[in-house]
Amino acid sequence: MLSDTLVADILSRGRAAGADLAELYVERWKRRNLRVLNGEAKEATSGLEYGAGLRLFYGTEIAYGYTNDLTAEGLRELAATLTARRGQTGRVDAKGRGGLDFRRSTAQGLHDPEVPFETHPKRYRLERLLEAESAARVAPEITQVESHLAEWEQETLVCNSEGAWVEDRRVRTRLNVNAIAQDGPQMQTGVAVRGLSVGLELLDRFPPAALGRQAGEQAIRNLRARPAPAGTMPVVLGNGFGGVIFHEAVGHLLETTSVAKKASVLSDMLGEEVASPVVTYIDDGTTPHGWGSSEFDDEGARTERTVLIENGVLRSYMVDRWGALLTGYRPTGSGRRQDYTFAPTSRMRNTFITPGTVSVERLFDGIEFGLYAKEFRGGQVKPGSGEYNFGVQEAYVIRNGRVEEAVRGAMLVGKGPETLKRVVAVASDLETAPGMCGSLSGSLPVEVGQPHVLVSEIVVGGEI
Amino acid sequence: MTFDEAKLHILNRAQTRGIGAEVVGQRQRELTARAHTGRLEQLTQAVQGGVGVRVVVGGRVGYAYSEELSPAALDWMLDEAIENASLQREATGFLPAGSSLGRQDLVGDAFAAPLEAKVQAALGFEGTLREDARVKQVMLAAYSERVWDVSVASTEGADGSYRRGIAGMGGSIVMQEGTSLKQGWDRRWVTDLGMLDPGRTALEFTERTGRLLGARPLATGRYPAYFEPRAFAHLLFAFWSMWSGKAVMEGKSRLAGRLGERVAAPIVTLIDDPTISGGLGTRPFDAEGVATRPQTLVEDGVLRGFLTNSETARALDLENTGHASRNYRGTLSVAPSNLYVRAGTGFKPKRGVIITEVTGVHAGASAITGQFSLQALGLWVEGGEVAYPVENFAVAGDFLTLLQNISGLGDALEWELVWGGVACGAPLVGVAELSFAGA
Repeated sequence: MLSDTLVADILSRGRAAGADLAELYVERWKRRNLRVLNGEAKEATSGLEYGAGLRLFYGTEIAYGYTNDLTAEGLRELAATLTARRGQTGRVDAKGRGGLDFRRSTAQGLHDPEVPFETHPKRYRLERLLEAESAARVAPEITQVESHLAEWEQETLVCNSEGAWVEDRRVRTRLNVNAIAQDGPQMQTGVAVRGLSVGLELLDRFPPAALGRQAGEQAIRNLRARPAPAGTMPVVLGNGFGGVIFHEAVGHLLETTSVAKKASVLSDMLGEEVASPVVTYIDDGTTPHGWGSSEFDDEGARTERTVLIENGVLRSYMVDRWGALLTGYRPTGSGRRQDYTFAPTSRMRNTFITPGTVSVERLFDGIEFGLYAKEFRGGQVKPGSGEYNFGVQEAYVIRNGRVEEAVRGAMLVGKGPETLKRVVAVASDLETAPGMCGSLSGSLPVEVGQPHVLVSEIVVGGEI
Repeated sequence: MTFDEAKLHILNRAQTRGIGAEVVGQRQRELTARAHTGRLEQLTQAVQGGVGVRVVVGGRVGYAYSEELSPAALDWMLDEAIENASLQREATGFLPAGSSLGRQDLVGDAFAAPLEAKVQAALGFEGTLREDARVKQVMLAAYSERVWDVSVASTEGADGSYRRGIAGMGGSIVMQEGTSLKQGWDRRWVTDLGMLDPGRTALEFTERTGRLLGARPLATGRYPAYFEPRAFAHLLFAFWSMWSGKAVMEGKSRLAGRLGERVAAPIVTLIDDPTISGGLGTRPFDAEGVATRPQTLVEDGVLRGFLTNSETARALDLENTGHASRNYRGTLSVAPSNLYVRAGTGFKPKRGVIITEVTGVHAGASAITGQFSLQALGLWVEGGEVAYPVENFAVAGDFLTLLQNISGLGDALEWELVWGGVACGAPLVGVAELSFAGA
């Protein structure tokens, strides 16, 4: 995207101003979005995003700037803005004088799409989304069906004054189907979402009609459901997006973003037992075609499979470059950012609970009264206190070990460290699901996952 | 290419091809200074932006955008938008007739101060936060300002631009007393630097978070609820789209078809006013170049209106209220600006839960169903006095039922910048009874 000479020139300006490390991040996105509502293409849009972020490290102090003027003048102006406060105080060594000897690393295509976006015309996408539409109309009460297809192609280049030159390409596709069921003044929703680091083969792996049916049936169930019960009770969490509980209750607490400042309740606890021994929690940036996968992170480091918690014992945090500098922990290829307008921070990639040995049916045994939370929405956490929440989209009452009537979703709330110790059993049916996670470095694609899991008590925010 | 050159390039190409086009451009300047343990931790300075086009080809509408302003990128953008338009079957799209709107500057020299002064503001803010012995960590403490140059131009004659901006102090602290830990996230935005007071803001932050230390579990039950202004502002934002003309048009609002009906307690009046001087969401015209004006949505409990743009106004046979929203990356929608519940005569909580904060609004509230179940923090009130803080509970209900059950409104309005260019305001809101799930 840029010439070596220009990149070396910009990096050396940072070094000349006394920066220990200068890093330039350049990216180009091509995005396409299509929203279909009730059989009509409502909005179709296409976009080019193109920009660069320059980061200078002065010890642990960071200067960050970004622009989408990627001409030599534009980038020099950016460098001048960032170095102005410092003045030209640094000494430039031979490496930093513009003759940087870059070591090139390029993506091997591990997550390349089988069906690239250009394979099919736009009308093909519309026709496939219409399949979701008709399948979602499972009953006359379904009044609205909306489906949304997002296609992302991102090319990144990360270079730094240590000589790294890393090029990566990420292709992602995501399909959402939302259905609304109405009965008089009552309206309820159903949702189905699938997304991977793939091209249009997503629509073959997860046929839109199947997602449509799932969304339609869920909306109808919610329309007929009573409000969820309220209070503290045992909860069986469904597999797949159920993993959002661990994303909130523990994942965010293990990012150096909070850990480095001891603003996480799980700071300084490596080697300690932080969860029930049935919990093994992994963050894997290398999962083939995972929604949160990439070959390199946004700081140019190779992604890896990081074991965070092993049989209840804390083994690693998620560490970016800055986090490593502040804590001394080994970097884990976890530096991520939404786009060039954010400096990277440590973030999750594909995070999941590994399968246990218990059968799903056994999880319900002996529960006198509880909640089976099957499908989920997003959540939120405060790492400093561990207080987390996440929303349930589809749920059932458990009575005497049996799954009984459907109840409407409710928020589940708790404190992460307490909930981790209350995990009673983990089933063997691991599944993963795509989500978008918001934090200091913006909104990012992350996968969450787990088998069915039984937690002995969580506050269920239903109604009484 | 500059934005003005890009705009002319696109409109000329569109005219040559005989199609309607509307261009929105945005250029954003950001300055953020983050402080930690008495030192500057991160300084971000940037300029960024792009252009987006909406085309109408024989009544069919398509969109595209670009951050690269080269002729090749702009031509790609226009071709894509035209191809996107061809996917529509219905051919009812149109661009509103536009006018020359001139250039308005809402910022002036409001943020004129040397960089060093802004860095000092961040350092002073962070330093004051650390003075409270209960503050265990300052996770984030920052001064931040953003200024946007927004332009709209169309083949139908719209042409104008404005400049708006905000500055603020914000951050996150972890406080501890005994074994009790609380993390606060807070921010204060203003439209003029003179209104910022880093030291005082820091004291407010520690007071707001510190009062929750030592919280006890709340027993599951139905209690009277009192939403603090900023907590209610977040709840209001979760449900504002019930008043969106777009949601009404698309069958996603339970308020559809209820104009003139009583939808809230008689003390409730809800207004969106994009013209408030110094408002955080103030703008002179909307994303279609239509001049903005205040719109009453609920008056003394009665549903009086919806927020519309040209498309939704025509579809619903309502007046266009000038609430079109579209940033360059997005598509035409509707958005509030300064949306607020009018302050009342004041009241004093007697017994129940003062809700100081709701979290997880994106996951626990649905403007389509109208229902919410949200994690909350609060204070238990007994005999008209705050008895102790409460935690680990969720509050649930139906927003339209809640509006009907509003029993009292405080006499002071507070504002919260909830998202992008939208500010929500509310006084203390008392609700007769809500369902609380806890211990």
